[in-house]
Amino acid sequence: MIRAVPPKKPAAKIMKQSVSATSSRASTPPITPKKGNKKLASMTKLAKSTSQSGTATPPRGVVADQRQLDLSGMNLGSKEDVTNVVEEPPKVAIAKEKLIEEVKKTMEAETQKKGLNLVVIGHVDAGKSTLMGRLLYELGRMDEKTKVANERGSNKAGKASFAWAWGLDGTAEERERGITMDIAMQYLSTPHRHITILDAPGHKEFIPNMISGAAQADCALLVVDASTGEFEAGFDRAGQTREHLILVRSLGVTQVVVAINKLDQVSWDQVRYGDICDLLRAFLIQSGFQPSRTKFVPVSAMQGVNLLSRQGDDAKPLRFWYDGPTLVDLLDKLEPPSRDIVAPLRIPISNIFKGQSAGIAVIGRICGGIVQVGERLRALPGDESGIVKMIEVEDKSVEWAASGTACTLHLISIDPVQLSIGTVLCAPSELVSLAMTFTARIIVFDIQIPITPGATVELFHHSRDLPATVSKLISTLDKGSGKVVKSNPRVLSKGLSAEVQISLRTSSLSGSVSTVKSIPIEPFSVNKEMGRILLRRGGETIAAGVVLALVG
Amino acid sequence: MKLVNKYVDKRGSGHVTLRPEDDEDMWHLYNLIQKGDFVRAPTIRRVQTISSTGSTDSHRVRLNLTLEVGAVEFSSSPAPSGTSSADPSNDQSASGLASTAALHIAGRVTSENQHVKLGAFHTLDVEANRDVRIEKADGWDSVALSRVEEAILPGKGAEVGAIVCGEGTAAFCLLSQHMTLVAHRISVHIPRKSGASGASQHEKALTKFYTTIYDAFLRHIPYSNPSLRAIIIASPGWVRDTVHDYMLSEATKRGDKTLYRALKDKAFRVHVNSAHVHSLVEVLKSPEVTTQLKETKFAREGVALDRFYKMLASDEMRAWYGPDHVAFAADRGAIGTLLISDELFRASEPAVRKKYVAIVEAVQQKGAEVVIFSSMHESGQQLNQLTGIAALLTFPLDVEVVEAEEREAEEERKQQEAQTDQASS
Ligand SMILES: Nc1nc2c(ncn2[C@@H]2O[C@H](COP(=O)(O)OP(=O)(O)OP(=O)(O)O)[C@@H](O)[C@H]2O)c(=O)[nH]1
Ligand SMILES: [Mg+2]
Repeated sequence: MIRAVPPKKPAAKIMKQSVSATSSRASTPPITPKKGNKKLASMTKLAKSTSQSGTATPPRGVVADQRQLDLSGMNLGSKEDVTNVVEEPPKVAIAKEKLIEEVKKTMEAETQKKGLNLVVIGHVDAGKSTLMGRLLYELGRMDEKTKVANERGSNKAGKASFAWAWGLDGTAEERERGITMDIAMQYLSTPHRHITILDAPGHKEFIPNMISGAAQADCALLVVDASTGEFEAGFDRAGQTREHLILVRSLGVTQVVVAINKLDQVSWDQVRYGDICDLLRAFLIQSGFQPSRTKFVPVSAMQGVNLLSRQGDDAKPLRFWYDGPTLVDLLDKLEPPSRDIVAPLRIPISNIFKGQSAGIAVIGRICGGIVQVGERLRALPGDESGIVKMIEVEDKSVEWAASGTACTLHLISIDPVQLSIGTVLCAPSELVSLAMTFTARIIVFDIQIPITPGATVELFHHSRDLPATVSKLISTLDKGSGKVVKSNPRVLSKGLSAEVQISLRTSSLSGSVSTVKSIPIEPFSVNKEMGRILLRRGGETIAAGVVLALVG
Repeated sequence: MKLVNKYVDKRGSGHVTLRPEDDEDMWHLYNLIQKGDFVRAPTIRRVQTISSTGSTDSHRVRLNLTLEVGAVEFSSSPAPSGTSSADPSNDQSASGLASTAALHIAGRVTSENQHVKLGAFHTLDVEANRDVRIEKADGWDSVALSRVEEAILPGKGAEVGAIVCGEGTAAFCLLSQHMTLVAHRISVHIPRKSGASGASQHEKALTKFYTTIYDAFLRHIPYSNPSLRAIIIASPGWVRDTVHDYMLSEATKRGDKTLYRALKDKAFRVHVNSAHVHSLVEVLKSPEVTTQLKETKFAREGVALDRFYKMLASDEMRAWYGPDHVAFAADRGAIGTLLISDELFRASEPAVRKKYVAIVEAVQQKGAEVVIFSSMHESGQQLNQLTGIAALLTFPLDVEVVEAEEREAEEERKQQEAQTDQASS
């Protein structure tokens, strides 16, 4: 039920050497051969061939990982390019069963802060990045030096009002335009929560990136601009306030904190605040959020009012009429959803970059199971596998990470060309299924042009989108009972619930053909997070749904 | 394509001899040649001779063969694809693009020949600049004849070069009247900004991506060719602006005046909603294309498909699709615009083709519009996904009512048949 950050010295009893949390290599068991690349490679080869011959005894000093034995029996790892190993892979520190016990214990510990992933959403320019920048600073997550540098930089660029946003808007183009273009990931910590922040872009053009963030989130922070006309623009049909809310709800988010921002612009008008809350409350209910799980808070990101406290002159007008919780109070009470740590390991990759040392670094939120340093992971699609050299959570090195955690994995002995955004990492013994065609139950959004069979759409699944077609309209369904209303409907128009078949699209235009690979996807009944999809067309989200069955 | 010879009588039987010149012509031939036709074309055959001394000798002879067509196959071998290849061996000069399409015909030999037995099974690979004579057993129908007319219009080749791009991906497309060639694809990974890696990896990869686009553009878009009327850079976000500006400044830096002029004169930027190639349909219906290139086949197709979907949104009873439903609408004289894919005319059953030809002729006779889509364009591909046939009706018709009417008529017909059967027995 909790994203657990393991204690600094996990399973110390198993580790014979002293463990330093910042170096994963410290967890390598004592038999680690001395560095020496060539020799090492041949040794690894040797070790592998023995285990493949079936007489496998686990290397001395290492607790056998059942999965690895299974793997060698199945001969799945034979493609591993041993000569690529330049560093001794760290060994798995602990058997899975024991690890599960340990993770459970850690998570149940009273002292342990609960972890969750929060996506920050809202219409363009609502002040999402400014709010996050300011919050990071107030909570001591952004140092004075960075703050001053951002102030100076943004001032020089003639964008002084974006000084706080620069803490999250890191690319040259974002800073130049004063617009967030892709998700920024940051961490903050409240008295009872570790929160991974996913600051989403609000601009309509970057909804694909916003979806990538929302797909990794447990809860959402909606930021709205209270200034005159601006709230209205964002809440309009063409604005992103509603669209973002519907998207996060479709992706499984049920808890929302709504920050009514820029109240300084309307002289902290209590009536304005109330009106906005009322409009949003109604829309939230209509979109399937429970009133008890939606909270509202008045803030000014720019002035830092009501983030952590309501002290100071700027907050004076607010103190007149508001004595409820601050933003941090509300964030501190968010309930993380339950986590399935015994489920098969699934890590959909949302970012890939070069790590500091050898190997490649990938970012992803774990959608089931536990991963630990030293474990061999298979990357699907493709037939590559690699070894987890280091796991980072909130910029700290840890020995393991459990379902729900957003983490950075440093992988070695893997060909990075085989990895792409959307690749799913899993345990070699429990591979994720792959499909080109599947059936899904969808809800059709408020669209103008009905969905016809064969309609070309973009299929959104986790952080990637692919060209696809709605290859069959199987039936329309009753929203309440789920019973079939009509088979083989001619079109699907807005508001309908339906069962459809979706196929990845193979283009047969002449010339360079893009190779269409099956994608790692699972029915919702198997793994909720692996079974949610969104369909978009012409810049609009036209449907959301869950995977029912894989067809092929 | 050149028309070498044509003899077709009033009933439609006869033969046409054509000389294909480029990929698009191969595509035309593929759409003209049906199973059962007689095709005469040159081919090369390896012949073995046994000399008087008993030694065997093998040599190739070029000969003309006539086949009764059993199967036709069109393929367009992929141009180098995948990640930013800078392989010079694939270099295609910017003026003339290498041919990638091929047409294979298989069937039985029907002309006596000293090297090949009558009735033997043989294949023909149609070659550019060699005459192909097509004789139709079933006669030349109106669709086939108008296809010949279109095919022999002076060849223009690629008229539009379009780059559909996003952050890290780009597809270089060449649009000629009847086909879209995806000449090249680029797909490079751009690390997203992140706390750990900062933005530097992102910026570095982006810069490299723009350079790769520039190089690929030089190789794959015949920008200096006068027949290329437009260069379109399409993307979501602002990638198209960055790419456009990068190319202009790079052309200036490198002193490439031709490229600079071509970009200044022909390039325009189009917003599309996704970076996938299927966004070409959005390009085709953009105002930039519909005003400047409105008479081109691909623009007309794009507009027609867009009109169909808009009609579906505003009045479902006036936008029909599917072979049966469209046939019903045609019977009732309700079709204002018929959208039909050339794929349907390639049906291996002559009766099926006849049915579609009849619909086309009926619609044309009423003075209504017929748009035959090329399935080598993205719009045609999307029509294919929607059964390949659709229609905009001039007045609303309820599909369910029409279906019921048709069922009744069918019942009646059956009853009558049964009665006449009884009467005759
Ligand atoms: N007056 C006032 N201005 C604010 C406040 N919060 C943000 N702003 C201004 O609003 C503008 C947009 O802020 P951002 O933080 O970039 O907004 P955003 O929601 O992150 O925008 P995107 O990420 O591009 O969608 C900046 O000029 C901020 O200075 C506030 O509380 N009061
Ligand atoms: Mg922002």
